[in-house]
Amino acid sequence: MKDASIDDLIDGLASELKPVRPRRVVRGSLWVAAGWLGVGALLVGLFGRRHDLATGAMPPLSMLAFWLLAAAGVAAAWSALRMGLPGVGRDYGGWRWAVGALLALPLAALFVFFGEAHGSADTARRGFDIHCLAQGVVSGLGVGAALFLWLRASAPTSPTRAGWVIGIAAGAAGATIIALLCSSDDLVHITLWHASAVPVSAIAGRLILPRFLRW
Amino acid sequence: MSIDEPSLARLMAASQRGDRAAYRALLGDCRKWLTRYFARRIAPHHIDDLVQETLVSMHRKLATWDSGRAFLPWLAAIARYRWIDMLRRQRDEAELGDNDAAVGAEDEAVHAKLSIDHLLTLLPPGQAQAITLVKIEGASIAEASQISGQSESLVKVNIHRGLKKLAELIESE
Repeated sequence: MKDASIDDLIDGLASELKPVRPRRVVRGSLWVAAGWLGVGALLVGLFGRRHDLATGAMPPLSMLAFWLLAAAGVAAAWSALRMGLPGVGRDYGGWRWAVGALLALPLAALFVFFGEAHGSADTARRGFDIHCLAQGVVSGLGVGAALFLWLRASAPTSPTRAGWVIGIAAGAAGATIIALLCSSDDLVHITLWHASAVPVSAIAGRLILPRFLRW
Repeated sequence: MSIDEPSLARLMAASQRGDRAAYRALLGDCRKWLTRYFARRIAPHHIDDLVQETLVSMHRKLATWDSGRAFLPWLAAIARYRWIDMLRRQRDEAELGDNDAAVGAEDEAVHAKLSIDHLLTLLPPGQAQAITLVKIEGASIAEASQISGQSESLVKVNIHRGLKKLAELIESE
């Protein structure tokens, strides 16, 4: 009985076969890059770039933070793209190293913060810049959407992990876009209000996306 | 006839191009492979259902196989996903059958990687024993309670928690 039903199933599946175009990670990465560049160009057009971007005179610390975030975003996006093409034994964990390197930001910020804790003018000026964080999270939506659509059409075998990694990639992408807009060079500000987009987006990705990635 | 990786990869590549005869042969081979794969992981009366579900998933996700990579790890990943899905359903339904006897199967490298024996060693002993007795050896809850010395409700709780942890372990492998 069961044998017959599996035979019928095989006949049915074979009869409805149509040629398929194999999914390629490189093609997916073009969509991610488009999401990154598109949102970045839109926001730079709307709000204007930071004053020293055109001259290439960005201070080294801000530059370093930018590239750390960019590396984490690229590594997470690449891992998320690879998760769409399943295979037992494949390693999708490359993003962990880049995100681990990002911990240098809060560590350095802690030293800076406590080093200046004797009432310096900088510390007093530090405000509550949640708009930078909100902009960072929103700026990551282009990359997040591209990765989500890619994975939804693919076959992620761990939707929970995929949700985390999409969130990390989107948050890091958003933080790099904000780094192009915000003119603050204060490491505490960069860590608190730019890089925090990474954990915030990661948690949002974990909570929202897995149910839509199941197949 | 043995099912070898290069033949399967050739059939899959032809299937992606729309060759129905190759696809029918591929599905037939996959059916045999999946039956052996699931035989050492789930109760016999679930095997056919899981094979069918996996074949349908494979059909829907045909484009996600990369011809530059081996075929069997791809198939195993889809089979594992469907297996986890079933474990979750079993956990949610707390469906405790009485005829869950396991059958043997040949060893294979991909099978060994996700061996249920290996995974059970990663669970607390009480959970592993409850799952082994009820879900693999086919004992009833009452029999498992008698053999293990756990109360009947503890056996049920251990199965519920153990299956949940098992699903998480399989995902992380």
